[in-house]
Amino acid sequence: MKIPVYSTIRLLFEEGIGLLELNSPPSNAMNLEFFREFASVIEFIRSNEEFRALIISGHGRHYSSGADVPVLLNEILEKAGTDNKGRLKNVPEFLSNNYASFLMLENLSIPVISAIRGVCLGSALELALFSHFRLCGEEAVFGLPETSFNLVPGLGGIYKLCSISGQALALERVLKGSTFTAEDALKYRIVDKVVPKKLLISTADDFARHIMQDFRVEKRGLYVKKYLS
Amino acid sequence: METINKISWEIRNDIGIITLDNPPENYLVQPEFVPIETLRKWTSYDYLKGIMICGAGKHFSGGGKLENLFTMIRNKENINESMDKGKAVLDHLENLDIPVVAAIQGICFGGGLEVALASHIRVCSENALFAFPEINQGIIPGLGGTMRSIARMGFPRAMKLIMSGDMINAEDAQEMNLVDFIVSKHKVFDFSFSFLQRLTRDRPLPVINAVMKALKNARSLSIEEAMKEETRMFCELALAEAKRRNASSETQK
Repeated sequence: MKIPVYSTIRLLFEEGIGLLELNSPPSNAMNLEFFREFASVIEFIRSNEEFRALIISGHGRHYSSGADVPVLLNEILEKAGTDNKGRLKNVPEFLSNNYASFLMLENLSIPVISAIRGVCLGSALELALFSHFRLCGEEAVFGLPETSFNLVPGLGGIYKLCSISGQALALERVLKGSTFTAEDALKYRIVDKVVPKKLLISTADDFARHIMQDFRVEKRGLYVKKYLS
Repeated sequence: METINKISWEIRNDIGIITLDNPPENYLVQPEFVPIETLRKWTSYDYLKGIMICGAGKHFSGGGKLENLFTMIRNKENINESMDKGKAVLDHLENLDIPVVAAIQGICFGGGLEVALASHIRVCSENALFAFPEINQGIIPGLGGTMRSIARMGFPRAMKLIMSGDMINAEDAQEMNLVDFIVSKHKVFDFSFSFLQRLTRDRPLPVINAVMKALKNARSLSIEEAMKEETRMFCELALAEAKRRNASSETQK
C-alpha cells in the first residue's frame, strides 16, 4: 500500500492503525484545501482494508483552531447561488461535500478515535464529534465560537452535541460560544477520557489495539467502560 | 400583564414570562391550559429572545385536576379533541425558535411536568419534587410526556418514572437528566431569567433562530437531513455576514 502525500494532512500507517494528523501549522486551521484533502483521505482509508483503526490528531501543539472564517466567507460569497434579491438559493457544492465527508468518517467500519491536545474549536470540534471516541490532553480547550461572529456551527455540530450532551447543554454551549476545559468536556460526555498530554497518542494507540479486532459501533459504551474508565 | 385561564403573561426586557397562576398548586384548568391562539399571539412579538415558564408562589404546577377530566368525560365532552389541543400548545412551545426555560420550584407533577419537558432547559430549586402520578389513577401522561421523557432521559429511566408514579427529588431528577440545573430555593426565577438573558443578549435574532431550528431538527430529523439543513442555515448566515464585512470594509476605505 502506498500512502498518498497531502499538503494539509499527514497520514501515517503502522500495524493496521492509521494516524491522520491535521497539518497546517501553527494551529492547523481548516482551509478549503484541507476539506478537499480530508474527503480524499477518508475515501482512501475506506477503500483500503489494511486500515483497522484510525486515530485523528493535530500535528504539533494543537488539534485545530477550526475553519479559516474569512476565507470561507469569501468562498461562500463567490460560490453560493442567490436569487434576484440576494437570498440564498443553492448551498455551494463544496460545503455539502464537507459534511458528506464527516458522515463518511462516521460510517467507517473501523474505530475512529480523535486524540485532542491544545485547541479544538469550531469545525474542528465538529470533526471530533463525528469520531467514534474522543480522548484529550489535560490542557485541551474546546468551543463552538461561531455565534460570536454571527454564524452557527454548520457541519453537524449542533446535531451531534445535542445527541451526546443533551439539548440544554448544546443550546448553552452554542449560544454562549465561549471555550471550555477538558474537565468540562468530560462532564458533558464530549470526551471519553482525559489523559496527560504526553500519554495521549499512546493511550489512543493502546485503545485502538484493544477494540480493532472485532469493532462494532453499537458496543461503543462497552468499550469506553472496559478500556477508558 | 395579561391573564387567561389562570395563566399570566408579561414581557420583561426581551424575555416573555408565562406564569402558571392558580395558586397554591397552580393546577392547570384544562389540557389546553392556555388557548393556542393566545399563546401564538403572545409568542409572536418579533423582539422576544426567550421565554421563561414558572409557577406563582411556592410551586410550579400540580398538573391537571383529575376531577375536571372525569367531569368532562361524564359530560361527554370530546376528550380527544381537548387533549389534541393541549398537545398543540406544548408542541408550539417546544418548536419555538427562541429558547424556553422552565423555572421549577416546589411540586412539578403530571401535566406540570409535561409543560416542563416541552421546555428546552429545566432549572429547578433544591426543594423541587417531580412525578407522573397518572398511573395511580389508571391513566398515563397524555400530552406527549411519555415520548418527551424517553427523549430526555432514555427508555429505562422514563419507564421507571411513568410506571411507578413515584415522586423524585431535585437531585435524583438531575441524575436522571430530567433537569439541567439545580439552584438554591429562592434563586430559581432570578437564575433562569438571567441565564436566558446571558445566552441571548449578545446574539442577533437570526442566529438564535438558526440554533433553535437546528436543535429542533436534531430532535426530529435523520442526521443526513438535519446536517443538510444545518449547512444551509450556516450558509445563509455566512452570506449575510460576508456582505456585512464587505460593506464595512468599503466604508472604511
